[in-house]
Amino acid sequence: MSVWETVELARHPERPYALDYVKRLAPDFIELHGDRLSADDPALVAGVGRWHGRTTMFLGHQKGRSLKERVARNWGMMHPEGYRKAIRLAQHAAKFGFPIISLIDTPGAYPGAGAEERGIASAIATAIMEWFRIPVPIVAAVIGEGGSGGALGMGVADRVIMLENSIYSVASPEAAASIVWRDNSRKVEAAEQLQLTSREILAMGVVEEVVPEPAGSARTDYDAAAAALDAALVRHMQPLLEQSTEDLLQHRYERFRYIDSLIKAEPDFGPKVN
Amino acid sequence: MAIADRKREGIPIAGGELPEILLPSNCPGCGIGLDLELLRSQNYVCDCGHHFRLGADVWIPIIADDGSFQERWAGIRSHDLLTWTVPKRYEEVVDELLSEGLNESVRTGTCTLDGRPIWLAAFDFGFVGGTLSIVAGERLARGMEQAASARIPYILVAASGGARMQEGVLALMQMAKVNAAVGALHAARVPYFSVLTDPTFGGTAASLALLADINIAEPGAAIGFTGPRVIKQATYADLPQGFQSADFQLAHGQVDMVASRTELRPLLAHLLELYSN
Repeated sequence: MSVWETVELARHPERPYALDYVKRLAPDFIELHGDRLSADDPALVAGVGRWHGRTTMFLGHQKGRSLKERVARNWGMMHPEGYRKAIRLAQHAAKFGFPIISLIDTPGAYPGAGAEERGIASAIATAIMEWFRIPVPIVAAVIGEGGSGGALGMGVADRVIMLENSIYSVASPEAAASIVWRDNSRKVEAAEQLQLTSREILAMGVVEEVVPEPAGSARTDYDAAAAALDAALVRHMQPLLEQSTEDLLQHRYERFRYIDSLIKAEPDFGPKVN
Repeated sequence: MAIADRKREGIPIAGGELPEILLPSNCPGCGIGLDLELLRSQNYVCDCGHHFRLGADVWIPIIADDGSFQERWAGIRSHDLLTWTVPKRYEEVVDELLSEGLNESVRTGTCTLDGRPIWLAAFDFGFVGGTLSIVAGERLARGMEQAASARIPYILVAASGGARMQEGVLALMQMAKVNAAVGALHAARVPYFSVLTDPTFGGTAASLALLADINIAEPGAAIGFTGPRVIKQATYADLPQGFQSADFQLAHGQVDMVASRTELRPLLAHLLELYSN
């Protein structure tokens, strides 16, 4: 499969979205809304449900299936209010000792004038910083597109995993092409340069695990994809639940502080995965 | 005379002599022919108020007391991790910039400002657009950790296009790496002041640059997350005059003040005094 085919698969309109997984992981899920400042961001779904015997906070980008829903959910691109909502609910989870699962699936934060006016840069910056202080276990999973700072704003966790056919990138291939060549039509070349596939990201040491998808990718079997994701989430969450809060936060700090340690250890290391 | 002005009296607008920089023959702000020596004596700010972009080599002597700057970790460099070849091999890009005398997109070290010890980090827009890279992130995070443990105020001068494409997702991860360190700085209750210069965008704006205790923007600086070209491409929106300017960010609550570079150093000295107990 070519890199671009992986990008298309990660973005496939029939690919399961956050709510498709959450409904299978926690059938009693109750959605919660709002940043308590000014708005609710429908690009981020959030709420609580019982997961393996424990009340858990679920957060996830939601792209929307029909055109109408896609517009309403802004194609999964969060506004500043979304990041403020996420941190509000992360603090809410911390208050009650609920672990947090964050499902990442966004092309990026919303690149619009309104988001700029309402402080998207500082909303993301604050969220990234605040995640380091949330004293409950957090596991993040990239389930589709992990695009840029918009994804990282939901991706500071104790463990980060990726579904096999998902991507994670410093910028979307279109944005990268626009930055490098000022021509976003060279997205295929950009995608090839960026090393954004799950295997490459794993080789760089940025995620802990790549979760295999059913044959034919997650879109062909939502139940099997959800079961595979569930098993991986449990495997990563379990040891975190046994850690002291102090250890948890220290390890989270070190996870990101030394995330490029593979590179520093060996200057010639390059994730040149075929 | 205001109290603030009295406090700032006698503090020079630059700590040392500034290097000469390449300038156009006329000011892009007012069109008038430039007197290079005059400009140099006023921190490269034209009489019309136009602030010229400066590299780290100029920022350091503006902020630091003469001869006090001790650069740290100047020897670490970027490598090509992704076999990046287009439009040019990344390793070559880095080699060329290093040979021109630039040293990565962030330089950092300790110095004094009006006699008070600080950590200083200055972005250099001339090095791949001041982009956040592994080396930049490492220099920033190490300095912040040391500032936190030694309880020394931290001053940042930002000028950056965002995260560096050529280092892929590891460049993105630098946002989390430096923000973890910013959190440590805040937890230690060490003052952190950020000077946002033209331009500050993307992953740099969405990480350390806007997270200071006091955010100071330079007049006319463009500051934002998504650049205007990409916003227009993505949304077909017409952007109003002054969109993402320093005054725009002041009006939208993102910065504490807009301050001219000719007042900056006395202002920072004043702030260091106020935040020293």
